[in-house]
Amino acid sequence: MNPHVVGANLVVRIKSFYREKSTMFFMIAFPIILILVFGALFMNQDNMSFDLCVQDLDQTDSSAHLVKTLEIDGKFKIIKLDATISATQYAKDNKLNLILAIPKGYGWSFLQRTALNDTDASINLTYLYDPSSISVSMKMQILNSVFAGINQKMSGKPPFIQSAETSILARKYRFIEFFIPGIIAMSVMTLSLFGTVNVNTELRQKGVIRKLSTTPITRADWILSNILYQFILAVLSTMAMLLVSYAVFNVSLQINAWLPVFIALDVFAFVGVGMILTRFAKEAESAAAAANAISFPMMFLSGSFFPLEMMPGFMQTVARMLPLYYVNEGLRASMVFNDHMAALRYSAIIGVFAAAVFILGIIATKWEEGQ
Amino acid sequence: MTKEAEHAIQVKNLTKRYGDLLAVNDISFNVRGGEVFALLGPNGAGKTTTVEIIDTIRTPTSGNVTLLGMDVTKKKHDIVRRIGVLPQGFSSFDRITVRETLQYYSRLFCCMNTNIDELIELVDLKDKAKELYKTLSGGLKQRLGIAIALVNDPEVLFLDEPTTGLDPRARREVWQVLLGLKKKGKTVFLTTHYMEEAELLADMVAIISKGKVITMGSPEALIESNTNYLVLTLKPDDEKAVEIVRKMGYEPVLDSHKDITVRVEHTDDVQKILNAIKDAGVSLHSLDVRKPNLEEVFLKLTSAALRIDPDGEVVE
Repeated sequence: MNPHVVGANLVVRIKSFYREKSTMFFMIAFPIILILVFGALFMNQDNMSFDLCVQDLDQTDSSAHLVKTLEIDGKFKIIKLDATISATQYAKDNKLNLILAIPKGYGWSFLQRTALNDTDASINLTYLYDPSSISVSMKMQILNSVFAGINQKMSGKPPFIQSAETSILARKYRFIEFFIPGIIAMSVMTLSLFGTVNVNTELRQKGVIRKLSTTPITRADWILSNILYQFILAVLSTMAMLLVSYAVFNVSLQINAWLPVFIALDVFAFVGVGMILTRFAKEAESAAAAANAISFPMMFLSGSFFPLEMMPGFMQTVARMLPLYYVNEGLRASMVFNDHMAALRYSAIIGVFAAAVFILGIIATKWEEGQ
Repeated sequence: MTKEAEHAIQVKNLTKRYGDLLAVNDISFNVRGGEVFALLGPNGAGKTTTVEIIDTIRTPTSGNVTLLGMDVTKKKHDIVRRIGVLPQGFSSFDRITVRETLQYYSRLFCCMNTNIDELIELVDLKDKAKELYKTLSGGLKQRLGIAIALVNDPEVLFLDEPTTGLDPRARREVWQVLLGLKKKGKTVFLTTHYMEEAELLADMVAIISKGKVITMGSPEALIESNTNYLVLTLKPDDEKAVEIVRKMGYEPVLDSHKDITVRVEHTDDVQKILNAIKDAGVSLHSLDVRKPNLEEVFLKLTSAALRIDPDGEVVE
């Protein structure tokens, strides 16, 4: 390994990158766009509320009190409909998936039950709903639970079974804080894999690699300089992602020594995979297709975007065989849970994988034209 | 100094196969230190395979190649530090300038004392030193490729078809650079299919066809030993001159520019033809008598190397 040679390669790669403004922009911008889009989509998931249209046909104090009760825990933002219009037609015209209708006589029935203690007095609230809507069943379930609470309160006896919620985490985390480490792991993987495959197949097709094979540079020098270059890009990209995450979503993530360790292992592993792909793909197009075939399933299966628990059992087993899973979990262990032992365990697993593919990458790299 | 020591390159019974294809077929030759050696042949003759085995890019199937006294299959690491290579279809990093490219290759060889300015001057790229590689024309790229091949001040320089694909002006610019290197006494191994290039630059020429060396020698010796005629070219003001020459027993060829070319054995024949044309009242616009060139030797030898076997196939 010659530091002069590695340094010379690094300088050339960084200059080439710096002079290709569009590549630089998209490399930094793509993961940031992902964070902004997914972050905006899931930002309210932890504090979700629905719009609910209510038509109060009774117009009494009791019915008004019921509407107010629905608003209290913040699950619904109430939109009141005029009692004179057709609720069904209004729902169709305004593409609403649910309208709650409080019928005339609600106040009287309420009075019979509470003041006159008439246990036979009851009332039917009407759900006017669109069964093809995905979110309507969730709204109806929440409404049912609110009404069950009211019914139980009217019975005058305390509930027998109650639930107590205790988070297993030291503090309450938001979805975005789980999401960001996954995006960092995923974008470092794609950066390293595609960066290696694209540049190396292009240089091989153009004949630059053939020229380099007539100089003292070795395969190990070449791969090491690739890894250093990709590591610098990965650090820049991660810094940009974290900056946006802190500024826009005010995330609370731990930045410690594990972050560069996992970035380095992610780079090592996927530059090695890229080198192996470059060896076996004849053309730049087939190399890119092979990189896509590896990275896309990995992105979705290894828990970068979705928690593993959402997947069927056999797919969870597959996910645990993917290297990116261990980078995701390692970053989450260090950045979200501050669990150094778990981070150490995950880093050991990805470290063994990275070392293996790095050695295979050196062996697979076709330097001389050979036989 | 022994003969072996004099030879910068020694090739013995070199063979290279790609599956069923025999690209190089048991060839042997030597290249002396300080000479410009041209491997001349048509496309697909085996020139690039031969040079790429000698300059360590490829490995041979069999045979021995010694470069600067070292076996090319065993001492690649030592050899590459002492040679310079311009591979066929040379290319470099698109977004790196001429100067940066030379600095990069110089650092690969760990040559801290390479005079980059001198190299830029040598290949006449001073005005383009700050230009990115991708903005250079084909000729300028080739000149940069030659400068790169010189960053480590090599003892032997390999140039694989350095002017292929260049326009006539760019080709001549590259020739000027190569003539400069020849004056400096560099050992140069050149492959080309341009006869004019080999004739102008080479001290020794080997003609290769279908993977075999069919002849070797200096351009003058090859012309001398393979031709025994002169080429007379006339531009008469009347086409009846063709008929006059034909009646004298020669085989004149009239081209589209109304030039008549005749092969004659002696200078006396030239005089006879000129007299006959003059007697017929035909005037001449121009007249040229020259020896055959390497192209005519090449065409003669490569055509002779091919024959039709009884099954109708073209074979060597």
